[in-house]
Amino acid sequence: MSDMHHPHENQNNDMTSPAESKYWLSLEQWANDPEFIEMAKQEFKSTPLREGNEKEEGWARREFLKLMGASMALATASCVRRPVQKIVPYAKQPEELTFAVPNFYTSTWSDGGESFGLLVKTREGRPIKVEGNPNHPLNKGALSARAQAHILSLYDPERLKGPKKVDGGKASDVKWDDVDAEIVKQLGKGGVVVLTGNMTGPTMKALVTDFCSGFKAKHVVWEAISYEEIREGQKASYGDDLIPFYHFDKAKVIVSVDADFLGTWIAPTAFNRQFSSGRKDIKSMNRLVVFDSMYSLTGANADLRYKIKPSLQLDVVMGLAHEIVVKKSQSKFAGNASVKAALEPFAGAAQKLGIEPSKFTQVAEDLWKNKGESLVVAGGLQGSASHAKELQIAVNFLNSVLENDGRTVDAKAAFNLKGSNKDLFQLIESMKKGEVKTLIVHRANPMYAVTADMGFAEALKKVEMVIYTGDRVDEMGAVSNYVLPDHHPMETWGDSEFADGVLSIHQPTIRPLYDTRSLQLSLMTWAFMAKVGPKRLTTPEIFYDYLREFWKTDLYPKFGKGKSFDAFWDEVLQTGVISTGKVEKASGSGRNFKTEALSNVKPVKSEGTELVLYPTVQFYDGTLANVAWLHELPDPVTKVTWDNYVSVSIATAQKLSAKEGEYMEVTVGSKKIEVPLHIQPGLHDDVVSVAVGYGRTGAGKVGNNIGANAYALAQWSKDGVVYSGLSASLKKTGKKTQLACTQGHHSMEGRKIVVEATLAEYMKDNGANNHKHKVFSIWSGHQYNGQKWGMSLDLNLCTGCSACVTACQAENNIPVVGKKYMLEGREMHWIRIDRYYVGAPENAEAVFQPVMCQHCDNAPCETVCPVAATTHSSDGLNDMAYNRCVGTRYCANNCPYKVRRYNWFEYTTQTEKPLHLQYNPEVTVRPRGVMEKCTFCVQRIKSARNQAKIDKRDMKDGDVQTACQQSCPTDAIVFGDVNDPESKVSKIFKTEPRAYALLEEFNAAPAVRYSVKIRNNGQATRNQDGAHKGGHA
Amino acid sequence: MMKRNQLVLGNKTLKDITEDIVKPVETLPSKQWLSLFLSAKVLLLFYISMIAIIIANGMGLLGVNNPVAWGTMIITFVFWIGIGHAGTLISAILFLFRQKWRTSVARTAEAMTVFAVMTAGIFPLIHTGRPWLDFWLFPYPNQRGPLWTNFRSPLLWDVFAVSTYATVSAVFWYIGMVPDLATIRDRAVHPLRKKIYGILSFGWRGTAKQWSHFEMLYMLLAGLSTPLVLSVHTIVSFDFAVSNVPGWHTTIFPPYFVAGAIFSGFGMVVTLMTLVRIGFPQFKDYITIDHMEVMNKIIMATGLMVGYAYGSEFFIAWYSGNAYEKFAFINRAFGPYAWSYWIMICCNVVIPQLFWKKSFRRSIPIMFTVSIFVNIGMWFERFVITVTSLHRDFLPSSWGMYAWSFFDTGVLVGSFGLFLTLFLLYLRVLPAISIAEVKPVMNVGKETHGGHHG
Repeated sequence: MSDMHHPHENQNNDMTSPAESKYWLSLEQWANDPEFIEMAKQEFKSTPLREGNEKEEGWARREFLKLMGASMALATASCVRRPVQKIVPYAKQPEELTFAVPNFYTSTWSDGGESFGLLVKTREGRPIKVEGNPNHPLNKGALSARAQAHILSLYDPERLKGPKKVDGGKASDVKWDDVDAEIVKQLGKGGVVVLTGNMTGPTMKALVTDFCSGFKAKHVVWEAISYEEIREGQKASYGDDLIPFYHFDKAKVIVSVDADFLGTWIAPTAFNRQFSSGRKDIKSMNRLVVFDSMYSLTGANADLRYKIKPSLQLDVVMGLAHEIVVKKSQSKFAGNASVKAALEPFAGAAQKLGIEPSKFTQVAEDLWKNKGESLVVAGGLQGSASHAKELQIAVNFLNSVLENDGRTVDAKAAFNLKGSNKDLFQLIESMKKGEVKTLIVHRANPMYAVTADMGFAEALKKVEMVIYTGDRVDEMGAVSNYVLPDHHPMETWGDSEFADGVLSIHQPTIRPLYDTRSLQLSLMTWAFMAKVGPKRLTTPEIFYDYLREFWKTDLYPKFGKGKSFDAFWDEVLQTGVISTGKVEKASGSGRNFKTEALSNVKPVKSEGTELVLYPTVQFYDGTLANVAWLHELPDPVTKVTWDNYVSVSIATAQKLSAKEGEYMEVTVGSKKIEVPLHIQPGLHDDVVSVAVGYGRTGAGKVGNNIGANAYALAQWSKDGVVYSGLSASLKKTGKKTQLACTQGHHSMEGRKIVVEATLAEYMKDNGANNHKHKVFSIWSGHQYNGQKWGMSLDLNLCTGCSACVTACQAENNIPVVGKKYMLEGREMHWIRIDRYYVGAPENAEAVFQPVMCQHCDNAPCETVCPVAATTHSSDGLNDMAYNRCVGTRYCANNCPYKVRRYNWFEYTTQTEKPLHLQYNPEVTVRPRGVMEKCTFCVQRIKSARNQAKIDKRDMKDGDVQTACQQSCPTDAIVFGDVNDPESKVSKIFKTEPRAYALLEEFNAAPAVRYSVKIRNNGQATRNQDGAHKGGHA
Repeated sequence: MMKRNQLVLGNKTLKDITEDIVKPVETLPSKQWLSLFLSAKVLLLFYISMIAIIIANGMGLLGVNNPVAWGTMIITFVFWIGIGHAGTLISAILFLFRQKWRTSVARTAEAMTVFAVMTAGIFPLIHTGRPWLDFWLFPYPNQRGPLWTNFRSPLLWDVFAVSTYATVSAVFWYIGMVPDLATIRDRAVHPLRKKIYGILSFGWRGTAKQWSHFEMLYMLLAGLSTPLVLSVHTIVSFDFAVSNVPGWHTTIFPPYFVAGAIFSGFGMVVTLMTLVRIGFPQFKDYITIDHMEVMNKIIMATGLMVGYAYGSEFFIAWYSGNAYEKFAFINRAFGPYAWSYWIMICCNVVIPQLFWKKSFRRSIPIMFTVSIFVNIGMWFERFVITVTSLHRDFLPSSWGMYAWSFFDTGVLVGSFGLFLTLFLLYLRVLPAISIAEVKPVMNVGKETHGGHHG
């Protein structure tokens, strides 16, 4: 066959060997003429391919066509703009999950301090935003900045992907099975200690107890910020080792001595809510008097703020007690000789404090007048001086004098904060003696937060095996033998009882991303393998079973009245929280104060410069140091980002002849750190303050080496840790940096920006100091026939806590820019909180004002955009069409509120995976070169509108909550339809005499109203022109 | 009647004039020119790379930020646009006023205008965040329904103003050159040169009819250009005046900007002319000290106008009773950017006062120095207006500083690379003085003719 089809080939083959050829067609063939052979090779006589010599004649027509076709095809292919990417919907849609509809799950979170009830918003199975659980009696739907931001730690790219063995700081992969075997062998040797952070969950506590009983292990609870001094003071004063619950809402007069309860102290979000609820009815609003060593957020919100030194804390409290008990002979302690003897040394407290005696007396009188309805608090790191326990005794005494115990201070509902520095001290001692063979460390980082001179690192070397459950090889991980990463809190089950009678469930909201294992399951596994411990520990296969069983046996009988357990359990998961009402109502039963406790309360010597260490709103103890949102969140008072610093007063800075940003060496005894200087108005001249929580070295790429570790300056002893009132000295190092402060100027320059009035002025005229301008326009203005969105911000309620800033960042996919660009003024926050100082710089008072896009009716930005990328919507929103924006930035120039934010670089695509999983799919991510700004959470408006349509009803007030409003613990933000006469916001717009539009005379007609801040400081007038002129540029 | 000085020195014949003016076009470039050109070229390449890096990475490379969202690019844009105004003024307005002295400087001044507008025109295009979408700024028919340009935005007016200006100036400049290009064509020996200049001269034959048409067209174009001298910088000033930023929102801006533009333009003309005189010594007979003196007088006059505007702004800021505006001006003179304000005052108001003295007006080194100061001062004027107004406006919480970066310097310095490259090329390939216009005035001021007749 083939011969027939290819006769030429055969011939050709034949021709090469003429001797063998049998048949020939021509003489040329027979003679093997080369010309003939060449011709015979051609298929056609006249070839379409090429003729003659290839080299000379170039390309043939067919080849040319072929190549041209191919290159056309290639050229066309290269012009395809995007490769086809097919998306596939759920083949089997999971139950309860609709594509593009978010699911909310109740949960709980705590970073060792405050504990929150959460609603975690998930989309397609991934958590994207954390919101407060409205059912939770403490945070009631609000959430702190840190709680908002902790979602980023779930998607932290640097989390460990599985268990590691660490040797000499180097980590290598191991398998859980191998680790377990080795650990169980080790645990059998005894000498086991479990060191954990504070545990509020009853189940977790039970599990650790079970484990400890099985292995004869010891459990040590330690937190860097422990509030141990409060428990000790309570024990000495009343015999109760607990932290009582505080009712700031029931107090008419609140005196805080260095307790930053609006910023960081115990449960600031709950306390913000309580505190503000006592200020909503202005006529009977509370009075907050703060004696402040550093410039705390609480001090910034005080009606009366007095700067003190930590060594004078006792003088404040005992001095006030002296005024009441000795001078005025009031209270049941009036005749008590031992009390009198204890108080006598504090007779001249006002002079010692440098406060006008009449003013000091006034504070005491206010307290006494409101006895039973007042509250005195002290403590926290700022209150942890060498006399911390005595300070607590004095506070307890004063509260007892004022009959506050049982009313505003309630021991019947205690906070479950059990961290103990003393216990850790003991542990280190026994480690040094070699008594500890195995140390299991969970959610505690003593390598970072304990001073080096405690010798924890050396003591660890005597421990045979150190097991750490951190999610990365951090400071603690580097000195451990095994780092067995725990689940992220969002991946794990649990429960919490932050305050007595408030039980909340901790549900996971995502399957563990990596090969991690919860400590709970680890402990259960090891007990099972070693066959020790009670049955309930070793029987269940997973921690969920243990938890459910624990709730069934221990909690269900107490709370599950009349319901089946399954129904009870489902209800708990759904509502997220069970409350017995203990924290909502005070028990009313006061305790007897043991007056002998006062015998140790003696005045403290006060001399030289004193150092105060304090936690910040952003970082608290420093656990979340790798969360960029928190670095980018300006400190509520100083407005500095991405650094810690030593704050000194203006006079002290002059004395040191040091300028803002100059590096200072802060020395305490033999320990020193280097931090930049920050000049803080309103600070005591003899006080310098440095924030803890910075200077991490094992936090990760974001958080490492930002600032200096101020924990290193604390003084440890078996009696506790001194964080405050440390004798310190400052020296210039000659180095300099720039602090990335988001606010360059701190005075209002006499402009009507934040309007203030005293309570006295308000009582005379409810619209006090709120001067309305007559504004008119020659245009008719926009018509809003349907809805018109508006927002109101009550400056009297806003405490500047900054939860809204981070909530907005999480909701609206707002990028972080880092210190370099913060310095260049490229912060991206859609809502910012302006803080102005008022009054003389040395005693400056502060005011806060959240500013976001004001959605002006006569929006100056809209007219100047050449491409109409920003336009007015029919419901009063100032819309941004990102797609249309070419980025001339004219709108930003023309915005008098300077709320527009520009994408200076391509931020979104720089997001490291898997951090992008946090992005809210309902909000567009913005490309480079595009302007953005607050949208009034337009995505929430749209989804509420859709919901109303589905339900076939009109939208009602409260259907839309903006992210900032939702997280606000003080209800300072109200949002709604101004055209709806029944809405809260329209009532404020129309009837609130305190409400004013910012820069009203400018007649941009903003859709935001601010309400005058009222200071209950006992003064007749508040002169706005007293605003100090000399700001810092 | 005062005796008129000669406009053309050196007893030139008609042939001499042609020889002198076309000499740079017909000879090989000197070493000095080559070295200048290469430097300019390097600067231009640097400029191109700066722009490329900025477009590739984002506006964040520049010092613009919140609150100062406009910076070097807008400042330098206004600077170059302003420079252009002297050329149009000389060639159009002075033409209409029959100012014979303009003939020898008009061509180069106008070339300067065209190149300055080209240099300026690049800035608004690259200062946007997404320059590849700049075409959205033009109202072209599209399929986006009601989404069109926003005719209320001064930036849009700017688009029309600048593009009109660029077109009219270029046409005016080119039309005026046609007879001279024909002269070069006629003299050309090399066929290629003949071909190129033949095309460029549109087949000009110099017939009476052509001259008649030419004169008419030139007059019309001069008439068209004249309002542009006033309108372009008026509209550029609207970018600021129509906004509501204290320090921008002032009604004095249009005349103030126009005066400033002419001031800066003449500054640049003097700078360039002194250099041209050095580079091409034969031009000294055409661009005489008398010419320079007249321009220096204009510099002094417009400098005083600008100074008056500075004072007037302060007066109105006080007189208006507007606290924000008052603050803006006090902040200009005494705030953190006071140095830039005082540089501006010194360069624009104080230093030109030297020209009260005749010998200074006629001294090349002095006028060169003063003109450089005027250029610097006028750049700083735009810096002061743009940056100091924005950096502290209504809410003190948002006050900040401009974050000047390497790239700001890069685009500012680099833009001179573009301008100088174009200008140096122009000097070599086109007749830098109008032959056709100089010849009719060669006898002005000569004894035989009794001078002045205009």
